[in-house]
Amino acid sequence: MAAGGELAAVIGVGMTKFSATRGDVSMPGLVREAAERALKDAGMVWGDIDAVVMGKAPDFFEGVMMPEIFLGEALGAVGKPMLRVHTAGSVGGSTALVAASLVHSGVHDRVLTVAWEKQSESNAMWALSLKQPFQVSINAGAGGYFSPIIRQYMEATQAPELIGCMVAFKDRQHALLNPYAHLHQPDLTFDQVVESPMLWEPIRYSETCPSSDGAAAMVIVNETEAEKSDNPAWIHAGAMRSEANNFPGRDEVNPQASRECAADLWNQAGISNPREEIDAVEMYVPFSWYEPMWLESLGFCERGDGWKLVESGATHINGGDLPVNCSGGVLSSNPIGASGMIRFAEAALQVRGMAGEHQVEGARKAMGHAYGGGAQYFAMWVVGKDKPTT
Amino acid sequence: MNPEDRLSAPLVLEYPFTRTTGPVIGAFMTGLREKVLLGIKRKDGSVLLPPTEYDPETSEDLTEMVEIGQSGEVTTWTWVQEPRDQSPWNSPHALAMILLDGADTPFIHAVLVDNADLMRTGMRVSIKWKEETEGHIQDIEGFIPEGNGND
Repeated sequence: MAAGGELAAVIGVGMTKFSATRGDVSMPGLVREAAERALKDAGMVWGDIDAVVMGKAPDFFEGVMMPEIFLGEALGAVGKPMLRVHTAGSVGGSTALVAASLVHSGVHDRVLTVAWEKQSESNAMWALSLKQPFQVSINAGAGGYFSPIIRQYMEATQAPELIGCMVAFKDRQHALLNPYAHLHQPDLTFDQVVESPMLWEPIRYSETCPSSDGAAAMVIVNETEAEKSDNPAWIHAGAMRSEANNFPGRDEVNPQASRECAADLWNQAGISNPREEIDAVEMYVPFSWYEPMWLESLGFCERGDGWKLVESGATHINGGDLPVNCSGGVLSSNPIGASGMIRFAEAALQVRGMAGEHQVEGARKAMGHAYGGGAQYFAMWVVGKDKPTT
Repeated sequence: MNPEDRLSAPLVLEYPFTRTTGPVIGAFMTGLREKVLLGIKRKDGSVLLPPTEYDPETSEDLTEMVEIGQSGEVTTWTWVQEPRDQSPWNSPHALAMILLDGADTPFIHAVLVDNADLMRTGMRVSIKWKEETEGHIQDIEGFIPEGNGND
């Protein structure tokens, strides 16, 4: 079968409400909330879980070294294997894939996977802008890093200037359909997005993700366990790739690792026409322009056509044939370490028919996508309502 | 080029992180400010001090906080003759595991006596609070032998 080895499926999904500050809970309390919801969804208790796989962004973000150790009790990991995964912003996706690999390999039958960030107790901007001796520091965080890459995309494709604003406005509209989303801005207008301050030119304030506290969790099980569930999300494919963030000749707009990760993914899933065959996409878009950029890189359209999909409304839940980020996406909730796992979990909810108001009618195959670092780590999966066939 | 000629530079990183305590550790810390010690009861009735949010063995939620006595027994100890600069204590003292009355797990704190001859495993000690408390483990100045005029 596609992903290799034993079949695996998601039978439990849990998330916290995402917000700027979760002052009511400790870090253990935060991960606990998501994990308990995932267990409840799976109809399981702590003792049913064989192993725990946890992910979060760099330790510098909260200043907690090796959080996997002090979160053991909160995640029911006492006496069990506990692993921590670390691939910057893509970590939530990589963590889910590592958890799935423990099931695909037959090592474990029931794995709990959790990813989280408590941005209110940290400062990502600081952590991402640490001055290193002998290196130029632009002290600009992620937005400053990505803005010239976005300009390069705009110039290469001659995309209209307001495509990014369309993505941002669309995702904030989608967020209104998701009770867990951080940003709920029912009165936001497209003009307000356009008129918001230019933060890292050409990226406006409203085209950036918020800073959120939150956690996401999933229970991933083998075929025998999945068949006891009413609505498992079968894992059809999973792929990860990485590359250096800086080398001469690098294609920063469309990194090789992204293209090759997607090609591997579609090949595993037996998908030849992603746009036709995928019903919902949860894509890692922390800055609006990354939606058209990834649409191209992932093969949903030809190079240079990503912005046309956005402009045509193809990625909107209302009327679009390829709805992207129906949950509101990273642009509406960004607990960094969890953001990748939220994408993967939302894809699972879609094919399980459990996405509530942001459900894509009849979704049978969905893609979850995450990237991290200087667009250098990639993690992707395809989940389906039906069991994968060889 | 000789290795000692290669450039090197210091790298100092500092950031004032914050921490949210949550309902259990938060209550324990608030208790210290009020000069009250709070432990937490497990399903089997045993009491953990300091309290934890989740059972260390079963991972169950723990919620029932109980007040602990302010005297107890030294279960083991070590003598610190010359406290280092970063120590909260300036003079010689013991660091001891102390099983307080009403708790089932010992916790670590200082026993403030003048010399090691005054220490023994099994001795009874009582808490000595600082005059000003703020919600910190150092609101406890240390422990002194029981009956030595603690007020």
